[in-house]
Amino acid sequence: MDAAERDLLGQSLRKIMTSTVAGPALDGELAELGWPELLAELPEVAVPLVFGLLGETGTVASVLNDVVLAAAGQEIGGTPSLPYAGGRWLVWARDVEPPAGAGVESTGPTGAFAVLDPALPLRQVDAGEPLTEVALAAGRRALGWWLVGSGRAMLTLAREHALARAQFGKPIASFQAVRHKLAETLVALDGAEATLLLASDDFSSLLAKAAAGQAALTAAKHCQQVLAGIGYTTEHDLHRHIERVLVLDGLLGSTKELTKQIGATLRRDRVAPRYAHLL
Amino acid sequence: MNVSEFRTGLRAWLEDNDLTPGPDGSLAGQVEQLGRVRRALFDAGWMRYGWPEHVGGLGGPAVLRAVLGEEIASRELAPPNFYALIEVLVPTMIDYARPELAAEMVPRLLGGAEQWCQGFSEPGSGSDLASLSTKAEQRGDTWVVNGQKVWTSLAQFAQRCVLLTRTGPGHGGITAFFLDMDTPGITVRPILAMHGEEEFCEVFFDDVVIPADRMLGKVGDGWAVAGSVLPFERSTSFWHRINHLYARFDHLLAEAIDPDEAALGATYLGLHTARCRSHGTQLRFGEGLPLGPETSVDKVLLGTSEQHLYDAVRELLPGAVELADSQWRPEYLYSRAATIYGGSSEIQRNIIARRLLGLGKE
Ligand SMILES: Cc1cc2nc3c(=O)[nH]c(=O)nc-3n(C[C@H](O)[C@H](O)[C@H](O)COP(=O)(O)OP(=O)(O)OC[C@H]3O[C@@H](n4cnc5c(N)ncnc54)[C@H](O)[C@@H]3O)c2cc1C
Repeated sequence: MDAAERDLLGQSLRKIMTSTVAGPALDGELAELGWPELLAELPEVAVPLVFGLLGETGTVASVLNDVVLAAAGQEIGGTPSLPYAGGRWLVWARDVEPPAGAGVESTGPTGAFAVLDPALPLRQVDAGEPLTEVALAAGRRALGWWLVGSGRAMLTLAREHALARAQFGKPIASFQAVRHKLAETLVALDGAEATLLLASDDFSSLLAKAAAGQAALTAAKHCQQVLAGIGYTTEHDLHRHIERVLVLDGLLGSTKELTKQIGATLRRDRVAPRYAHLL
Repeated sequence: MNVSEFRTGLRAWLEDNDLTPGPDGSLAGQVEQLGRVRRALFDAGWMRYGWPEHVGGLGGPAVLRAVLGEEIASRELAPPNFYALIEVLVPTMIDYARPELAAEMVPRLLGGAEQWCQGFSEPGSGSDLASLSTKAEQRGDTWVVNGQKVWTSLAQFAQRCVLLTRTGPGHGGITAFFLDMDTPGITVRPILAMHGEEEFCEVFFDDVVIPADRMLGKVGDGWAVAGSVLPFERSTSFWHRINHLYARFDHLLAEAIDPDEAALGATYLGLHTARCRSHGTQLRFGEGLPLGPETSVDKVLLGTSEQHLYDAVRELLPGAVELADSQWRPEYLYSRAATIYGGSSEIQRNIIARRLLGLGKE
């Protein structure tokens, strides 16, 4: 797939994601666009695009299930159990309508959703079947792209606000404290994206998920501060992205847990792996 | 010569030619080691790849210089920041010196016969470099320089200096020269840096006469000269530094007394992030694409991860920095400068805010 085709695919995806109701309807639209085939044949193109855009547009589809299943060599369409921070297990339910005005209610009518971000149809289960390393790595890369996409959405909101909002007779974007927070956010997101672009095996995928989680949490913190009062309301979109990244960070291992795991691996091997080679 | 041929050949050569530093870790010892490494690599040809033939190079893509730097840094054969000075000095000569001057001088630096320094910063002009005031006045076919530079690394060892002077008002009033450090009227006073070495100097200019043909570019090109080193500093030179930090991290892993896995993991994650980001920059540089303000992201990631590494060293090797006379102490201290030199982290964030995020003026 060349760059032009990829752009075209990106445009179609963005259109679907911004015009279709999140959840089963969006799953259906994605399937129609060829998601199963793309995942099977071009995952290195499809996953960054689809998951990055889920983050940027703030919508929800259940495609993480497919990524994990496909990597495990299983048929897509099911709902594998997914590990969550703290040794918990979740299932990403399909065919569950998100509550209207997601984010308003903390417990949806089904009672099935993640409490913090009701738009994510995550149900806790007592125990789960551990994923293979390959499936885990694929899921982590996908979530990494989602987290970075959400981070970019927050940065866009904060940037627009900084330019539009005036205090002391000038845009708050002119205050260096504000500028540096947004600059730090971009540094974190661009850094995390670089790790995602080079994520291939199990360990580098784990690294990328950790970097992406950290970047998204950095974005949440700085953008919330810049958006201040308005960003603390449910009338502004920021809170959805913040709640989303807090939940997604824990899925398939939180930044904190993964970082510890990285350290444990290094201590065991006593040598730091070098990824990213000049060829 | 492509990258893999180069790397394979170089590795085999390094197997056969031991360039391990001697026991003298003093600044003078390091400078001598640097000369030794450059000389050996130049004579064997490795140091000449990636530089054009007309300055004594053997041609080939610039990425070969990054690979050379990586192999040198991974083996800890030369002090990383001093080694990388060639990346900010030689391109300036290639782009702005008279061709005969570049052809004569560049091989001396690459071949380890000489050290050069960069005279940019002044007491009154650090981050705001464009405010520099060291004056150059035309007198016949010479220029006469008066003023002062500061923080000039290695000036006491240097035979030449790339010097920025003021010849008129504003950004267009800055002019660069290639100066012989033994010219009468130059006084060099080394300054003892925090890490215990006379890393940099004050340099005073008292009616220092420079021939007009030592001007780099034309009158008023100085700001462009200063900016032209950026792509090299941010690509080949960063790659070298990152590989040095990985080598030091391996030592930390081997020596760590406190098994704090979270700290080790976070430190490595920072290095890995800086490395991945820089890798993308190397690729774009290799394809001949222009490098611009987006490399400020690389600079912030690198400076931050370097300090993070040495913070971890201090925490996980308790006493190594404070109580022992080990290499960790000067390295720890030197890492504090990583967010200062080459444009401070605050200046990088200003650039990111203005040019990458489009936040308008402060
Ligand atoms: C180890 C070392 C080696 C060096 N080697 C050389 C060399 O070989 N040649 C050479 O020419 N120079 C060299 N330098 C000098 C270096 O380039 C300067 O130190 C650097 O540009 C900062 O200038 P300054 O120290 O005057 O700090 P200042 O510019 O005075 O800055 C002080 C503080 O204010 C902040 N600040 C300044 N302006 C702004 C702004 N607009 N917005 C926000 N914050 C701001 C800075 O980030 C910094 O934290 C070296 C420095 C070090 C530490």
